[in-house]
Amino acid sequence: MLKLVGLVLHYMPLIFGIGFLAPLIAQLIERAGLALPYGIAPLAAGLVIGGLWGAQAQFRGRWI
Amino acid sequence: MSALAGTSEAELIRLEREIARQHLDKFPYFAVAWAFTNLAVWLSLWPLVFTGILPLWAGFLIASFNVAACYLPSHEAQHDIIARPGTKLRWLNQLVGHLSTIPLVLPYRVARLTHLEHHTHANDPALDPDHSTQASGPLHAIWTSIQNRQPGAKGGLNSYAETLKRIGRADVLLDAALYNLAFYGILFALAWSGHAIEAALLWWLPRHIGLTYIHYYLSWAPHHPATDKGRYRDTRSFRAIFGNIGSMGMQYHIVHHLHPRIPLYRTPRAYWQMREILEARGCRVDEL
Repeated sequence: MLKLVGLVLHYMPLIFGIGFLAPLIAQLIERAGLALPYGIAPLAAGLVIGGLWGAQAQFRGRWI
Repeated sequence: MSALAGTSEAELIRLEREIARQHLDKFPYFAVAWAFTNLAVWLSLWPLVFTGILPLWAGFLIASFNVAACYLPSHEAQHDIIARPGTKLRWLNQLVGHLSTIPLVLPYRVARLTHLEHHTHANDPALDPDHSTQASGPLHAIWTSIQNRQPGAKGGLNSYAETLKRIGRADVLLDAALYNLAFYGILFALAWSGHAIEAALLWWLPRHIGLTYIHYYLSWAPHHPATDKGRYRDTRSFRAIFGNIGSMGMQYHIVHHLHPRIPLYRTPRAYWQMREILEARGCRVDEL
């Protein structure tokens, strides 16, 4: 159990990117009323941006 | 020149302790009320914002204040100021310690153990868990605080884990793990149920703002430049642009390091009473 907790926390930047940033970005796009090109869904954009941002934070050890 | 120049060290110690005694064992009513009120206000923001009674921007401002203000009541508890072990109100001391830092996602045992290490080893680069807040100036201090929160950072809250392992209390890391799991779990649940912006502005971003403020005023400013060691040199008095309340009572932090059981609200009075003694001691009290 403790190992699992440790594993989850170790990969938290990546999980945070998908679990929080992705829906946050999607909802910000929707709230702002932005229309994405090629009919891209806000959540798809959020998953790509949040996922990539989280992945680089996981890899580099820094968000900014 | 100080009126006490030439006074023997033994006499200075006696005078300092005499003043300190006047301020010890005073019940910090305000800190206790502050702990519960602050938490209640922060918790109430959620239904108020979700039901549309309070606009989100107002909730964000209040939440940022709540998170920045939540640490100090716990700090009083960490030093057993509310009630010492074995006394009738000890439960209240521990309750304040545990509850007040919930918005900050900082477990009481982690805060207490690492903070006591900070007092023991203040400004020691290897042993002071807060030494990573050292910075050359105000803007650098803010940037350093942000950098210390990066996933791969060695300082900030990440250095607390190393401190706990060093003092043989790795067991307390479980508290931090559970707090973090709960925090992220709640954020994720809110985000995926359509409330990501509310979660970001009532907790995630206020926590970052609060941590920056706390690092700035509770750690960086009172210790700057954080190079001297020893109880009379490792901290200082300073003049904050937001005053003593705006700096969360930290202008007189030197009194806290010398006598950690003096309640926060009594440190200004104690400072002005013992200022000449501190000056005679060679303390850094030139700003106030």
